[in-house]
Amino acid sequence: MSAELTESSPPVAPVARPRRWHLWPRSLREWAVRLASVVVVLAVWQLYAPHVNPIFLRPPSQVVAAFIKLASDGVLLTATLESVHNLLIGFLLALVFGLAIGLASARSWLTYNAVNPWLTALYSTPSVALVPFMSLWLGIGDSAKVAVIALFSVFPILVNTQQGVRYVDPGLLEVARSFNSSERRLWRDVLLPAALPFIFAGIKLAVPRALVGMVLAEFLISVGGGLGSLIIVYQNTFRVDRMFVPVIVVAFMGVVMIGIVQWLESRLAPWARRDR
Amino acid sequence: MGNRSGLIQVEKAVKSFAGVRVLDGLGLEVADGETLCILGPSGCGKTTLLRSMHGLLPLDAGRVLIDGAAVERPRRDVAMVFQHFGLFPWKTVAANVSYGLELAGLRDPERRERTRRYIELVGLGGFEKSYPYQLSGGMQQRVGLARALAMEPRVFLMDEPFGSLDAQTRELLQDELLRIWQRVPRTMVFITHSIDEAIALGDRVVVLSPRPASVRDVIQVDIPRPRTVEGVIEHDSFVRLRERCWRQLRSRVA
Repeated sequence: MSAELTESSPPVAPVARPRRWHLWPRSLREWAVRLASVVVVLAVWQLYAPHVNPIFLRPPSQVVAAFIKLASDGVLLTATLESVHNLLIGFLLALVFGLAIGLASARSWLTYNAVNPWLTALYSTPSVALVPFMSLWLGIGDSAKVAVIALFSVFPILVNTQQGVRYVDPGLLEVARSFNSSERRLWRDVLLPAALPFIFAGIKLAVPRALVGMVLAEFLISVGGGLGSLIIVYQNTFRVDRMFVPVIVVAFMGVVMIGIVQWLESRLAPWARRDR
Repeated sequence: MGNRSGLIQVEKAVKSFAGVRVLDGLGLEVADGETLCILGPSGCGKTTLLRSMHGLLPLDAGRVLIDGAAVERPRRDVAMVFQHFGLFPWKTVAANVSYGLELAGLRDPERRERTRRYIELVGLGGFEKSYPYQLSGGMQQRVGLARALAMEPRVFLMDEPFGSLDAQTRELLQDELLRIWQRVPRTMVFITHSIDEAIALGDRVVVLSPRPASVRDVIQVDIPRPRTVEGVIEHDSFVRLRERCWRQLRSRVA
């Protein structure tokens, strides 16, 4: 750099020589890079795959073909519905328990201290380690899978709800006291709205964990179908092109769920948008 | 009202935090209808004093009487304006202003009417549906002011309400407060560490000593109302009053 500066032209020189690339609007530039990245990786994959044993890798074009095949003969739909069914019930359970326990333990020293040793222990235990217990206690069917999904996703919701209420701005609590608020009104006017952005953040953390739980339960709990078991089935039959199909669907489910949560957040907590 | 000894009485107030004595037998009186400014160095316990006058903070010893009754918790005829504004970010301007009225159980036609009137009074007409983060600091404190005014209390407690604003906005709001006081004269206790502000707004100025706070001087501000900040500064007594406040504030250092 210093060599360049000493040569002759002042450092403003490059600006005088415009490159069209830099004249593009910023967002367009960003999208161009994203698109290029996807295209390049897919192209390399497409060109490289024929040189590899098809047991290990197949080109993206064949993945697309497999997707169309599985989508049209109903295999994919059946598996997706089964997975979504468990996912929704499990996630709903996580929401109900996470919110209920989080709120109940936030403002009472008794429940807080009763809940928190368990919370700390269970949140720091890798949830995977508890999956065998679920199938031992709940069998090898859907209820065990639902329980695994709930177990994987409940903790971020619970912890964020609890902390969201606990870390409310003490200045606002003082205002509420100054205006003689009852405890009930305090929840409505101050605590719940203050916790809402934290709760949504917790739910967003819980979505990918719920998906991990869903796939893992379908790997480990052998009865029934679902997208996870589809992956195993095609692995056992060396159809790596078809293996990718349920993976794509799971990824898409994550994107859709996060999108829904974000939409809900912008509707229910519009004031928090300025942080983004 | 007819109390010969003042509307608010603070008697031998004692308060310590973690072994540090903040108030040490402090006593003062606020007459009905007057504006009493409490001036003191930062950290001397002004805010502690005000919060215990509001019943937000229990005293270790001594007591606060308003209209002859001991203050144990916040009363509905006393409203506070906070240095940190204390607005709810999730409530609109109108919802913030009507917050206290709602808690007081005021029903809707009157509540909406009162909310509108006080938003208008503080000069925020047209911003009813804005959220606090969309407003400047000065405008946010106008909301805080309107919220307290809407309660139509007997007593206002002002905890350095303009302390976090820039000098220009601060003077603007001081003038605004003088103008509002002219229309709605109420008893007011105003905490500040600005001498000019204390003289501009106060009928009397109480100068506190550094921690533990006790009353060092009570200064009568003989500048007639209606006042403006500029008018006060140009008034003949101003320099003398300012000088006296200064000397009292500084005397501990000597």
